[in-house]
Amino acid sequence: MQTLYYVILVPMTYLAFAVFFIGTGLRLFTIYRTPKYPAALQIFPEKHPGRLWAIHDALLLPTIRKHNPLLWVFLMLFHIGFFPLIIGHIELFREFGIFQIIPHEVFPGRGFVGLILCLSLLFFLGRRFFSPVREISTPGDYFLLILLFLAALFGSQMDWARRWYGYDALLVENYRDYLLSLLYLKPELNFAVLNSGHAFMLVLHVFFANLFLMIFPFSKLMHAFTSVAMNKLRRG
Amino acid sequence: MDQNIRNDLLKLFRENLSRAMKLYLETCSRCGLCVQACHVHASMPQLRYIAAYRAEIIRKIYQKYFKAQGSFFPRLSEAKELNDDALQELYEVAFSCTGCRRCMVYCPHGIDTEMLMSMAKLLLVGARREPEMLSLLADTSIEKGKSLALFKKDFLTGIKSLESRVIEKWKCPAGQAPIPVDVQGADILYVPLSGARSIIPAAAIFNAAGRNWTLSFFEAVNFGAFLGDPARTRLILERIIDEARRLKVKKVVACECGTAFRVMKQLSGKQPFEVVSIVQEMARYLREGLIRVNRSRCNGPITYHDPCQIARNGGVIDEPREILRHLAQDFREMSPDPAYNWCCGGGGGLVAMGEDTLDFRMKSARVKVDQILATGAKIVVTACENCHTQLSDLNDHYKMGVEIRLLSSMVADALVGPEETASTNPEKQTLRETTRIPA
Amino acid sequence: MNDEIKADKILDLKDLPCPIPVVKISKGIKEVQIGQVVEAHTTDPGSLTDFPAWARITGNEILKTEKGDKVFKFYIRRVK
Repeated sequence: MQTLYYVILVPMTYLAFAVFFIGTGLRLFTIYRTPKYPAALQIFPEKHPGRLWAIHDALLLPTIRKHNPLLWVFLMLFHIGFFPLIIGHIELFREFGIFQIIPHEVFPGRGFVGLILCLSLLFFLGRRFFSPVREISTPGDYFLLILLFLAALFGSQMDWARRWYGYDALLVENYRDYLLSLLYLKPELNFAVLNSGHAFMLVLHVFFANLFLMIFPFSKLMHAFTSVAMNKLRRG
Repeated sequence: MDQNIRNDLLKLFRENLSRAMKLYLETCSRCGLCVQACHVHASMPQLRYIAAYRAEIIRKIYQKYFKAQGSFFPRLSEAKELNDDALQELYEVAFSCTGCRRCMVYCPHGIDTEMLMSMAKLLLVGARREPEMLSLLADTSIEKGKSLALFKKDFLTGIKSLESRVIEKWKCPAGQAPIPVDVQGADILYVPLSGARSIIPAAAIFNAAGRNWTLSFFEAVNFGAFLGDPARTRLILERIIDEARRLKVKKVVACECGTAFRVMKQLSGKQPFEVVSIVQEMARYLREGLIRVNRSRCNGPITYHDPCQIARNGGVIDEPREILRHLAQDFREMSPDPAYNWCCGGGGGLVAMGEDTLDFRMKSARVKVDQILATGAKIVVTACENCHTQLSDLNDHYKMGVEIRLLSSMVADALVGPEETASTNPEKQTLRETTRIPA
Repeated sequence: MNDEIKADKILDLKDLPCPIPVVKISKGIKEVQIGQVVEAHTTDPGSLTDFPAWARITGNEILKTEKGDKVFKFYIRRVK
């Protein structure tokens, strides 16, 4: 069991980050190396400047707000949720003053960020079981949502346990020791990370998150990096 | 399917993959927003008429042959083998898409389904499974360009026969040809369709505006674009570019044909001439007082159908409304606004395929009929021959009881000269409503 | 060539929108036997160039073109 924990927490994590960065870079490179389409692809009526409107479209999803407001609410909650999520993960390495502009305990959001992410993912998954979205969904669409849900659920569990149930056998300091040891290439697994009662949650969270990172460059998740460019094509 | 044929088709696929197409193929999140976008799906709710589903057919082939995931985990993205069944499916989705790009208004990423359908069409052309009629029409256009010398004399005779009908609409000064052809150094090259109705009103309008113009030998419509064959699209377009360069014109004016305008405008590249639609020209003449029209000749509620390739995809949205303000007293916009205009259901070559597609065209455009009827208009004006034909068919089929008109013929019929305005419209009211020009 | 050509089928293609005359002649020619003649009436000046180009592509033969004041008459023999 210890070996399995080690494999997931150390080599697999390194691998996942390598695949994510190299894969995403290569994917973007191969796409942008392909010649441009020779004609304009924009639609009208147009608004200037197109570049800013493209960013607006990619970040605020105006077409979804207009045509499916409920989906839009969940999409916005979900995507905005990534900000505190990423900040929270950075703070698991060390604290940065700038993030404390809004004073918070690590992890930001008092446990609700994870809750919102999980509920949004359940909503996205649920709607895929109903027509007409069911018919246009591929198996990969479901797996991706399930994978994200599992990663978010086990991640949130750890947060919830500390914040809501006063669980104190696996603390922010323990994560910091683990993550910093990875960062400085001297991986070391402390006692709490390997042996506390919630260690399995950490391992499962890291496992699913690693899978997510490795799948990212090869899936539609790449829209995170391509949506602005595509909206720019539409905006002209 | 023969392995050699498949390899040829995949080569065609690879060679025509642009950056935009790769982005479109990789990014669809299948959110389902586009379900509401397609007029075909809105009129007959079947799975294969959802934009994302149409795109998915081509995307699954892409997954199979161009993505590692498709080889290792084909079931995950339902990667699909390129075989005869797949071609049949490609035919069904590609030739039921009119290329109106209404789905692009809905998609959060702005995916252009028409472009993905053009890849489907390209594969069909490669496999010689394209609609025979579109292929024949494209080849006929190209042949005309090659052997113009053989047909030139007959064409001039044909044009001559229209002159008296141009003069009926607008008398041009003695010694001036009502329909000038092959004029070196003219300002404008007007590219019409084969039909007289795309030539006569336009000629009267150019003459009334005192333009130095010349008629093209070729028809504007690009059947290569309908067919989805870039090579033939190029050949058909180049006949006109060559003619414009030879005559050294400053401006190429496309007739009322959506595909013609969009192809000429967007694919001509950098040229010594600009490409505009006749709709833009007419609006300018009215604005600058080069022509004037009598508003009292058009009574009753009137609406305008935006041809997709001219409005949503070509950017000519305000000009037709500007013209109609000069012509009509009771103009009614279709609901909700031009960005959400339904396609007439005849684009993408469907009208050019004639009666073979009639049944589909009628069924798939029911929402367009509802959109028109909701305005209560008695006259439906449009600026595309293709839309005009389709709307006329809809008018007959659904017994809509409206009149379908082309914008240029409305303008030509309402043209008035300075002396005529005074004699036929003595009332002050009417005088104010006609557009004034400096003497 | 005889002045009097006897047509086996007459197609009225007058006042039709683009490109329906070419569409209809393509269908109409297949409804007669090889060697038989279709007489097509059009009003479009473009048909005077469209039809000869079409005939070259499809390998059919235009026997005669009558250019009337308003109506053009084509006599086309099905070759293939």
